[in-house]
Amino acid sequence: MSDTHTASRREDLRLITGRGRYASDWNLPGQLHAAFLRSDRAHAEIVSVNAAPALERPGVVAVFTGADAIAAGYTRFPLMANFTNRKGASLLKPERPVLAHGKVRFVGEAVALVVAESALAAHDALDAIEIEYRELSASVHVDDALASSASQLHVDVPGNLSLEWEAGDDAAVAKAFEQAAHVTRIKIGTTRVVASPMEPRSYVVSYDAAAASYDVYTSAQGISLLREQIATLTGVPAEKLRLHLRDVGGSFGQRSGVYPEHAALMIATKKLGRPVKWVSTRSEGFLSDAHGRAIQMSGELALDHDGRFLAARYEFTCDMGAYLTPGGPSGHLRNVAKCMTGVYRTPALYGAWKVVFTNAAPISAYRGAGRPDIAYVVERLVDKAASELKIDRAELRRRNFIPLDAFPYKSPTGGVYELSDFAGCLDKALPAADWAGFERRREAARKAGKLRGIGLAVVIEGTGAGQYPQDQVALEFDAQGKLSIYTTTLSGGQGHETTFAAVVAQTLGVAPEAVTLRESVLGKEIIGNNTGGSRALVATGSVCKLAAQKLIERARPLAAEALELEPSQLEYGEGAFRSRDCEKVIGLLDLAQKHISKNPHPLNLIAEGAFGSTFPNGCHIAEVEIDPDTGVTEIVSYVAVDDCGNVINHSIVEGQVHGGVTQGAGQVFGEHAVYDRDSGQLLTGSFSDYYMPRAGLIREIHLSEHPVPSKLNVLGAKGVGESGCTASLPTLANATMDALRPLGIQDLDMPFTPSKVWHAIQAAKVK
Amino acid sequence: MTKIELTVNSAKHTREVEDRTLLVDLLRDHLGLTGTHIGCDTSQCGCCTVHVNGRAIKSCTMLAVQARGAQIVTIEGMAKDGRLHPVQQAFTDCHGLQCGFCTPGMIMAVAALLNDNPHPSDAEIYHGLEGNLCRCTGYINIIKAVKQSAGVLRNG
Amino acid sequence: MFEISYLKAKSLSDAAALIGAHPEAKLLAGGMTLIPTLKQRLARPSHLVDIGGLPELSGIELKAGRLAIGAAAKHYEVAASAVVKKAIPALAYLASRIGDPQVRNRGTLGGSVANNDPAADYPSAVLALNATIVTTKREIAAEDFLQGMFATALEEGEIIVRVLFNVPKRAAYEKFPHPASGYAMAGVFVAETAAGVRVAVTGAAPGVFRWNDAETVLTKNMKPAALDGLAVDPNDMNEDIHATRAYRANLVKVMAKRAVQKLLATK
Repeated sequence: MSDTHTASRREDLRLITGRGRYASDWNLPGQLHAAFLRSDRAHAEIVSVNAAPALERPGVVAVFTGADAIAAGYTRFPLMANFTNRKGASLLKPERPVLAHGKVRFVGEAVALVVAESALAAHDALDAIEIEYRELSASVHVDDALASSASQLHVDVPGNLSLEWEAGDDAAVAKAFEQAAHVTRIKIGTTRVVASPMEPRSYVVSYDAAAASYDVYTSAQGISLLREQIATLTGVPAEKLRLHLRDVGGSFGQRSGVYPEHAALMIATKKLGRPVKWVSTRSEGFLSDAHGRAIQMSGELALDHDGRFLAARYEFTCDMGAYLTPGGPSGHLRNVAKCMTGVYRTPALYGAWKVVFTNAAPISAYRGAGRPDIAYVVERLVDKAASELKIDRAELRRRNFIPLDAFPYKSPTGGVYELSDFAGCLDKALPAADWAGFERRREAARKAGKLRGIGLAVVIEGTGAGQYPQDQVALEFDAQGKLSIYTTTLSGGQGHETTFAAVVAQTLGVAPEAVTLRESVLGKEIIGNNTGGSRALVATGSVCKLAAQKLIERARPLAAEALELEPSQLEYGEGAFRSRDCEKVIGLLDLAQKHISKNPHPLNLIAEGAFGSTFPNGCHIAEVEIDPDTGVTEIVSYVAVDDCGNVINHSIVEGQVHGGVTQGAGQVFGEHAVYDRDSGQLLTGSFSDYYMPRAGLIREIHLSEHPVPSKLNVLGAKGVGESGCTASLPTLANATMDALRPLGIQDLDMPFTPSKVWHAIQAAKVK
Repeated sequence: MTKIELTVNSAKHTREVEDRTLLVDLLRDHLGLTGTHIGCDTSQCGCCTVHVNGRAIKSCTMLAVQARGAQIVTIEGMAKDGRLHPVQQAFTDCHGLQCGFCTPGMIMAVAALLNDNPHPSDAEIYHGLEGNLCRCTGYINIIKAVKQSAGVLRNG
Repeated sequence: MFEISYLKAKSLSDAAALIGAHPEAKLLAGGMTLIPTLKQRLARPSHLVDIGGLPELSGIELKAGRLAIGAAAKHYEVAASAVVKKAIPALAYLASRIGDPQVRNRGTLGGSVANNDPAADYPSAVLALNATIVTTKREIAAEDFLQGMFATALEEGEIIVRVLFNVPKRAAYEKFPHPASGYAMAGVFVAETAAGVRVAVTGAAPGVFRWNDAETVLTKNMKPAALDGLAVDPNDMNEDIHATRAYRANLVKVMAKRAVQKLLATK
């Protein structure tokens, strides 16, 4: 398949001219406006709610509270995957009324919903609702939540522990540690962060009483999963939920699941008989959007005399926030376990998890969903071992890479890795970063009063295997003979309209403009997965190719008929069927045009495929310089060598890596959702307090591809959405630690804020 | 309620609005110009950037009544006679957008930046984009787009 | 935002009359602090009296060794002004570092000074340059005007008309921006004047302050190294999730040294 190098994407024109349609751009005739009253307490019993004064306010039509959520029965959120431990215990999944009832469990939990004639009127009435709380002690940190003195969040979750889970062979690991020549230990964690896609959440919901159906206008990561999750939560049959999804202002996993607000608006619109619109403010978003990461981790690595890995053991304490989100546990358990061995042949492996409730916003998937977390601890542990053993960091890795002849490689904790060339990635990255010449640059920096460091990470991740067993793609010709592709994915910036159309157009040999992608549209009876887990191109993209191949075969008899030949006498190429002697030719699109009067069009078809995980991997190297006077860390260079399999569109791949690396850099150097440990209040509730990456944080990324095509799908793609983020967390942290290690600093953890780095340097000077 | 007249993308409009109506809400809800986006409520993200009397401003931090009599340009007014503005063209050429939500504000900010400083250095570009957040691109391709469009605009 | 009535003042005296007539009214100039505050429903004035466009509050001119800047001068106007760049380049630089371009296109000198946000940039220049605040009622010296966090000598209905900055021999401003908000986490304005060196610090403490010890040593020896033995007391500094007291105290010194370095490089 030929590569596409042009940067312009098909979706760009409407987006750069202000003609995109995002969720808050929807307006329905007669619509009312909603505002949510949110808890200002981290943990409290709701003694009483009096909404009556709010009803007196101008423009207010109705107020809904927890009692309405209970009456509707909207309390049981779906879970994308349950987990059961070796003792047979499963995740404890407490109920979550879509408007809090009886208790509030985090600051920002929706307590009441005001519906009014205007958004301003709805907001004006919030302070008229009278709520009496009886405060309870709050635990916003996992250590506090697990303490014996902690207040229990949920009556049915003793000790605030949803599940203790494990993977791997504890006994084998213990034995290996006994024989170890050296053991390296580390205790670190990934900070709680807020995905913060630039588009705040927004929903417009209307109810058709005659059909008993709901129309939901929103942004999401795909039509199927959200519809199914709303159906599970509300008991409304999926076919009665009509989702209208268009442009999406970024998702990053945060839009992967159903939210309480979806269902609360359904209660309101059904009762009131008018559409209801809600647009989240950013401040509300910080409080009530699902947060990401937040895993405390400890790791131990056992090595022999030659620096060969014998075993590794990890503990993960996962802060899930106050409730389980549909996708939260899968990321923190499955995705972590799948790649717990990193890129190394570690014969014995064991991990133990604690899944903990805290009085904080619920945690869900965030770009990588567990993959960056495990890569972070593995790669920092390896770096620390190299430092302790005085072995070059690249050499220690090379010594332990899973070798080419060991693939497919079954990791001791579950993942079956497909062929990957870690040494090849490393060999490309080292010269690109001038690894060998680094000490000269360190010395030059030292003379200028700066601390320079270089860091690398070699990472792998298992992409999402999907919630649905198949991914289907429909190809249809409309009444004008135009070809459309229908999928269940939804691009939130990944450029599917360009890439998927290119796959189909190239397979058919027609111009890309002849094909249009329509994602997650209503009324297409296809099943398939969301955008997420780096799998859209891998799976849906592959089915696009299968669908195009199927179309050629479906068209062959019709072409034969049109050309008055036998199907076997036809060859297909460059968009047309030809007789072997090329005397007779008919273009595929012309053929389709001849049949447009038939309904359905005889060439319309659905193709499908089933796909498990693929394994994108790569080696990133960063160089940083720290100003010891201010503790500011500057990223001076960044090299990324990625194996995301075959590439369809290089610009888009590059853009995904840029964005992923930068989100990782944001987390490494400053992003942190901080709750006050005493009051449980969110201290980083706006962009004025929550650090966000800005222009100039990373000036350039020297990107090269090292593709080892996947054999698991027809495109040979491995996925690219999350790999930048997965690699940049450990890479940038390792580079920063390398700058600090000469001062004797070993265990500093993210976020490497100027204040924290400066303090570490001061403390090291005193020693 | 106050009656205001203003010019948006060369067209004159008269609307009656509550005094507390923000300019961005006037543009989006009253004039239907939904290309201007709202990404935050603390004047940080820049998604709502438009030009008022030739200067880039955050339309979420200005009352509609303050724009009485003003000349306003939004993203919908940037392309002229079917031709994209050089900044718009550069964003698509350089893959300077992904989800596109910050893009209108980003384009308006860049156009204003280049109007003030036709030949910005890298540092001046970073400084000039401090009022605009993007979550998708890592900014690297946005910087490329600024440089490309600066060249096009200089060469007229 | 709560309901509010907007009034556009036709003149300074009209503005004073409107403010007098509505005790719960607030003045609106650029609105860069006020409008976000109103949006968060943290204030509930009955009226907004818009003085942003009043000609009486505009203008930038050099008169008798003092730079007079109208209260409604926007940050970008000060940053771009040839007069300011010539007379007090450090002040033009300071203005160019406030907020972001969109904020600088709306925010005003008078608004910033009247608000006296402890992390705002302008108060450091007002204090270091011993500026005079000219109001509708009187002239107030910087040190009398600035009274700690968000507090000034302004009385009810009193409006800042212009600020008179003494032109120093040399001056420089260095700022360490807050990583999220862009406000000063420590901003230090060093001015070399006929009456000695003045050093004003913003962002680090509950209010803008003069660093007297630094002034003493720099008056004798205008060199970064002159500050080596000095330190501000961390206990007097602010602390938050982004920076400890000790770190802010350190930043004050580092920014002061960098300001001196920069001052020495100016003519």
